[in-house]
Amino acid sequence: MPHDFDPVAYRRHAHDWLASHLPAHMRADSPDYRTPTLQESSDWEAAMHAAGLAGMTWPQAYGGHGLDLRAHLIVNQEIGKLLMPDSVGSIGKELAGPIIMAVGTEAQKQGFLAPILSMREFWCQGFSEPDAGSDLARLRTKAVPEGEQWRINGQKIWTSGAAKAHYCLLLARTGTVADRHRGLLMFAVPMDTPGIRVVPIKSIDGKDSFAEVFFDDVVVPDSARLGAPDEGWAAALKVLGIERATNRMYRPWRFESELRFLVRALRSDPVLARQLEDGGVQRRVGELLAEIDGLKGLVERSVAQILQGQSVGARGSLTKLFWSECHQSFASFALSQVGQVGPQSSPLAQRARKFFTQTYLFSRAETIYAGTSEVQLDLIAQRILQLPREH
Amino acid sequence: MTQEENGLRPEEFGEAAEAAITDALGQPEEAHAGVLAAAGLLGICAPEDDGGMALPLAFAVPVVQAGGRLRLRYALAEQIVLARHLPEAALRAALADGSRSASIAWQGRRGDAWVGPARRADRCDWLLLRSAQGDGAALVDLAGAPRELDPSLDPEEPAAWLDLSQAPVLAELDAASAAALWHDLDILLAASAHGAAGGALQAAVEHTGTRVQFGAPLSTRQAVRHWLARMKLFHEASGAAIAHALRAEPADRAARTALALNLQHAAFIIEKAMHLHGGMGFTWELPLHRALRSVRALDAACGAGALARQLGQDFINAQEAA
Repeated sequence: MPHDFDPVAYRRHAHDWLASHLPAHMRADSPDYRTPTLQESSDWEAAMHAAGLAGMTWPQAYGGHGLDLRAHLIVNQEIGKLLMPDSVGSIGKELAGPIIMAVGTEAQKQGFLAPILSMREFWCQGFSEPDAGSDLARLRTKAVPEGEQWRINGQKIWTSGAAKAHYCLLLARTGTVADRHRGLLMFAVPMDTPGIRVVPIKSIDGKDSFAEVFFDDVVVPDSARLGAPDEGWAAALKVLGIERATNRMYRPWRFESELRFLVRALRSDPVLARQLEDGGVQRRVGELLAEIDGLKGLVERSVAQILQGQSVGARGSLTKLFWSECHQSFASFALSQVGQVGPQSSPLAQRARKFFTQTYLFSRAETIYAGTSEVQLDLIAQRILQLPREH
Repeated sequence: MTQEENGLRPEEFGEAAEAAITDALGQPEEAHAGVLAAAGLLGICAPEDDGGMALPLAFAVPVVQAGGRLRLRYALAEQIVLARHLPEAALRAALADGSRSASIAWQGRRGDAWVGPARRADRCDWLLLRSAQGDGAALVDLAGAPRELDPSLDPEEPAAWLDLSQAPVLAELDAASAAALWHDLDILLAASAHGAAGGALQAAVEHTGTRVQFGAPLSTRQAVRHWLARMKLFHEASGAAIAHALRAEPADRAARTALALNLQHAAFIIEKAMHLHGGMGFTWELPLHRALRSVRALDAACGAGALARQLGQDFINAQEAA
């Protein structure tokens, strides 16, 4: 971290740049909003990176900006204050990139990292399988060495962004399922390799945002391997532990922006505005603000602990679980508030109805992905409270 | 140079406070103020010239948490903020050295027929309440003031309502000073509830870890483990809200949201702790009922529901203004 880093000036830069460069059609709280194309999202994120607002903590040698988590937090706070589209390159930036930095060869770092930040290459995550969702130790996808190559067979599922991805961060095993967590190996597999088949899955919100990915006799060179057997998975666990606490760090601030949008939209229509005079609605808004501030505190504490060199460990489960349940509850509340919006309502209210309907539908996944609520509760019980082993 | 750079850390004050409060609890109630004052707890944020330690509010948080956790029957949060914010040096000094005790009324204004409830007002010398008009506050002498006690929630610590029509005014705080005091009080009362919840959670973890039913400790059962994990989740989120409030600008809503979140979660945690203790949790054999009464009394005094509603209303109005 440069010792002349000025957090106030940096925050001002982030705030001003984002506010002045985000197009109105990419602001979800604008009546002019339309779903951005992949190219538009990609161009936007590449511009953010060029403005110093992506890859803050990555080394400059690999296209990053050489700052620390303080800068990451500041940028995320400012990102959260705007209802901009979620990143289309988040798997690369938040998962593949950090793992490559941890275990990749110098050639892999030089080859993979900069294109992730400049949005020239997208990644997808090939971890979950039909029989290995929350329990990754049951994964069956097998990698067999053949001279200087590996032959991969298996199936992945719930793979977000598989159709657009250039690479898959693939977790496979070299032994048998009985080996559980031993012998797991990680690969960077080009998605145009023969034998890979992507079958989209339509989700509740009507999008094909994730897919099943089949690997039938897929052959990759040994140079696609990320780390030695066990090493890549060990690094992934470490990265996942940090990422659970730090990825999408903007969430509490985005949550507040969504609440602000809901109120503004209702205010914009004289009939709907009356809903906000209800004491129960006012109280619910106050309770949501209290939850949002609790979430901000959890994120800020994780950053402070990591900066002090402490391990966040299972504490990332606290943030994930609290956010997902509070946000899911908010989404239900928001949907109930826009139920009366119709063609006669204000343009902003009509925009809000579309936005919060999608938000509600997608929120059903929030307590499932990245470890279900039950998995998080188990982690808190076992690793934070250190309760006796389950009977 | 910050206090932490001077080698002082708030957590260490929590440990020292726990020892002093444990000491106080081993003595008659009338000796508590002297023990707490001697340990520097009452004047922890008061100016050094008034016998205080002039430490930032962050240092008072673990002290008040320890008071909540150990179920100290003393208006510790109120005394600490009054010793910090009263305008007269002599008044601050008397609170810091424990020779006088004071509380704060959450509801009512000067001129109202009855003012309260206020924690331990029946045993305090002074009381702070809102001025008859505007956003200021006044400190009055409680000597001889008629009072009505309501023991329905807590017979050991009845809520006190006071007739202050004849009570002499000792000091007045302008709106800015009063706002600073309410801000600090919000955070410390949140800390008090957080401490009470932490004590109950700890008791529940210990009990379910040793209580064997159907051949295994209760906390080896997933249903019980998940309750405990959820209690821990809410406790951590509430504590994080306090930390966020300490970092935020005083004008921010964060102190009020920290109080709202802590009151809501503390009641949940203590109620579940009682449940996990089974029938024993429902009796006077265990101190859990005292923790629940104290948090519910705080809830009633602060009007947690009204507090959340006001937060929502302020947010809604701010969007309209924007």
